[in-house]
Amino acid sequence: MSGVIGQAVSRIDGPAKVTGSAHYSGEIALPGLAYAEIVGARVASGRITSIDTAQAEDAEGVAGILTHLNMPKVNNVPLLPSLIGGPAPGETFFPMQDDVVHYAGQPVAIVVADGLEQAQHAATLVQISYAETPSITTIDQGRADAYEPEKIFGGLMPAQTRRGNVEDGFAAADLLIDAPFRFAANHHNPIEALTTTAVWDGDQLTLYDSCQGIKAVQLTVAALLGLSPSKIRVLTRYVGGAFGAKAMVWPHVTLTALAAQYVRRPVRLALPRGQMFTSCGHREEQEQHIELGATSDGKLTAIRHHKISITSPFDDWAEPAFGVASQLYACPGFEGVHRLVRGNTMTPTFTRGPGEAVGVFTLECAMDELASELGIDPIELRLRNITDVDPNTGHPWSSYGLRECFERGARRFGWAGRNPQPRSERHGNWLIGTGMATAGYPIAFFMHTQRARAHLYADGTAIVQTATQEFGTGTSTVMTQVAADGLGIGLRDVRFEFGDTDLPNAGSPVGSNGAMMVSAAVHNAATAVRDQLITLAVSDSQSPLHGADPAGVVVAGGRMTLAGDANTGETYSSLMQRHIMSDAEAIGSWDPPPLDTPHGLLTFGAQFARVAVDADLGIIRVRHMVGAFAPGRVLNPKTARSQLMGGMLWGMSQALLEGTHMDTRHGRWANASLGDYLVPVNADAPDVDVELIEVEDHVTGPLGVKGVGEIGQVGAAAAIANAVYHATGYRVRELPIAVEHLLAHLPSGPASAAAGAQPDLT
Amino acid sequence: MIPAPFSYRRAGSVAEALDLCTEYGEDAKFLAGGHSLLPLMKLRLAMPEVLIDLGPVRELSYVREEDGHIAIGALTRHHDLEHSEMLARVLPLLAHAAGQVGDPQVRHRGTIGGSLAHSDPASDLPATVLALDATLVARGPAGSREIAAADFFQGLFETELEPDELLTEIRVPVPAAGAAGWSFQKFTKRAIDWAIVGVAVQGSAVALVNMAGTPVRAAGVEAALAGGATPAEAAAHAAEGTSPADDINASPAYREHLARVLVERALLEAQSV
Repeated sequence: MSGVIGQAVSRIDGPAKVTGSAHYSGEIALPGLAYAEIVGARVASGRITSIDTAQAEDAEGVAGILTHLNMPKVNNVPLLPSLIGGPAPGETFFPMQDDVVHYAGQPVAIVVADGLEQAQHAATLVQISYAETPSITTIDQGRADAYEPEKIFGGLMPAQTRRGNVEDGFAAADLLIDAPFRFAANHHNPIEALTTTAVWDGDQLTLYDSCQGIKAVQLTVAALLGLSPSKIRVLTRYVGGAFGAKAMVWPHVTLTALAAQYVRRPVRLALPRGQMFTSCGHREEQEQHIELGATSDGKLTAIRHHKISITSPFDDWAEPAFGVASQLYACPGFEGVHRLVRGNTMTPTFTRGPGEAVGVFTLECAMDELASELGIDPIELRLRNITDVDPNTGHPWSSYGLRECFERGARRFGWAGRNPQPRSERHGNWLIGTGMATAGYPIAFFMHTQRARAHLYADGTAIVQTATQEFGTGTSTVMTQVAADGLGIGLRDVRFEFGDTDLPNAGSPVGSNGAMMVSAAVHNAATAVRDQLITLAVSDSQSPLHGADPAGVVVAGGRMTLAGDANTGETYSSLMQRHIMSDAEAIGSWDPPPLDTPHGLLTFGAQFARVAVDADLGIIRVRHMVGAFAPGRVLNPKTARSQLMGGMLWGMSQALLEGTHMDTRHGRWANASLGDYLVPVNADAPDVDVELIEVEDHVTGPLGVKGVGEIGQVGAAAAIANAVYHATGYRVRELPIAVEHLLAHLPSGPASAAAGAQPDLT
Repeated sequence: MIPAPFSYRRAGSVAEALDLCTEYGEDAKFLAGGHSLLPLMKLRLAMPEVLIDLGPVRELSYVREEDGHIAIGALTRHHDLEHSEMLARVLPLLAHAAGQVGDPQVRHRGTIGGSLAHSDPASDLPATVLALDATLVARGPAGSREIAAADFFQGLFETELEPDELLTEIRVPVPAAGAAGWSFQKFTKRAIDWAIVGVAVQGSAVALVNMAGTPVRAAGVEAALAGGATPAEAAAHAAEGTSPADDINASPAYREHLARVLVERALLEAQSV
């Protein structure tokens, strides 16, 4: 170990990105490239009665148009989350196979032209008539027909979670909390839209695709088109954000490949921002209802947590709300039930902290209500209920650290001495409040074997390769560190190569698993090469290390020495030159522990927020956020901290801004643009402090990494909502929290002003 | 999101800009910073056949102290107003309001004349010059004329300017010693957004952002103040005579509430300056 792991190394891809030399999927220059534009269905439900492409075909530059009348048929492929490592279509439905319209924006034609503008113009000339039928696009519209599915989340999770007996728990309780919550739909909106470029060479297909998993793209397109994966190569180095929108492989990828086949030219499709709301899933509109039972000393006796949400006509998708929420506290009775409404939307998908970010919000707001009712400090209430074992299985946590998260987070935030009385602090027009919440995020071992190749040259430099991609999280930087550490050479002597399905297999980095699984394979490949050369040295009579115990040899700066005796040793180069070796190479692989490993698997954290609420106007400003997290081993504190800060700001966005609203008259999203779907800008970010608590973990791969991808968001919105209650004395049970929720409950809002009537805000 | 076809001409001077304008007449539109016009063109809410780019016309970028007033070239960028030491001293309201426009990129491209001629009631600077009793100077083929700010804004995207006129200068009287107090209040959900409602106060002059189809003076407030009302009493009149919009950001009732609260805060702050 050279000490490269754990260093705050700046992003290796930084200079390429700020100078513009990092090429994204929509920037690959290709001769003869044509541009595609999708025509989305104008109605949310019905049939296409006629489709006339004559005018569009005559438009300047048009190379071809595909509709359901001439689109080739594709295979049916079941929906399975990409974290498993197989084909992963975002929905089981594939467009343009017949004349039925299931949701507004569903692709009904794809127009290909010489230029982007020509394709966009021709797309407006496709004449389509519909026989429209009534649509269901909200929970309210479909509530009467709600059902309980057997499985959710692409068949991966049961729809119910139960332990103990909740009725007994409620009977034993001194106090009940009963709280219903509503959540608007969310859309991911990475700044780089989903973009695919497809190039055929005979029966070989090359795809440049803005995705979270190049292997998933390869396998999904192969399955849909009935091609061998060996005929498909996916090349993606840089991705401009994903947030779950690119975790599954959506129909536009395969449509682009089919369009390129049809016009016999390379074709590029970049989704316009408006179509980003109808092409790559979303977090579904949902309601959650939680009931807590507790004894008067604050011990939970029962939790009943129900969710209802809206899914597509074809898939039982709900983001699972009760993973973390069922595991944080040692409550004997737990019941979690998902119910679904079928509606005319596309299949929802993974979105920033899928399920847990919303389920934990509900639980942690209810815990705050319980703390208030009992007059117990919110941290103390949680300390009385946390558990050293996973309450669902009784297995000890693979590593914990939650108590330290509470302690260090509270100290950093200045929680001690907090006046629990709501509306107890006012500065000028601002009501000030503080709140906290527990955070947790699952460690999911669904992936298959991860592989990487390490290739060391005789000059002591190395190339380390695996088929992952850099979507802005710091993967390429961190994996370079892991490779340098494993080989025992300098950071600058390693080139990490990625972004090509011809490289050794890596799974899709989803569910915050990227650092853990990719680093395990990279570490194993790098140390395999190191061990080959140590073995050679100790058996070489000309080596100063001859006869040494291999386990007693360490490598740093490309030089093998005896541990504790830096003078006895030699460099890789001298050994390899003596043996006339130009290089050394190894494949390293890693298999996750079995799914029934006897360990509880969660990453833990604690969130704190200070908000200011305008006493007259109801607007909420977040002043300060502190998050303390225990993500196992921290590979790079700089990139880890950045990811966690970003996650906490997702939480602020979830709490106060993000919501997509359905116009039920037309079954279409009403605010499908970045002008109307609000996310915070830099100037909205408060002070965000991150505390990293390293915990040793011997289950989560050879380096003990747990993950920092999404836990930053979990609990952040709840800490803000609890702070809003502390500031105002009023609990808003809806996200995003808006001015209109608070206005009637303010000391000098219009409800208490002379004007009297409560304003009707839209 | 692609504009309708248009021709592009660059003007190197005011004279050249006016010549081009005469040549193309009503089909032409001046382009200054472009941060308001170009989005409208992409949405095809504006479809000029000719764009006359005023970018090279540097002669209209200045802030000068003249006889009893401050003269500001119409193509002075928001960033330059925000950082003008003279404005900070003599017209701090204008310097501050210019610093509230959009984001740093917008302030480095956008110009005061462009913002005023665009006449969006949700913009910060139209209400600001209205509160400052500014005079706007327009030049056309027949020479220059002066237009009071109160007469300049005619409606959403509509001004008193003739199609062949170019806004060249904004003249702002230096506030009297007794009217030096000022305040600018802007209410947004996010830092970079247009104001849902805003208020500019200079002395006892009060103008409202986004409470009608144009920036408006809060006449009821000003009358109450003239009659000796306290800020709280005067602010109760803030929504009188306004016609706020009903849109995705707020209802008219909430905008009226915002106007009353923000006017009171602005008056109190102006008193304390």
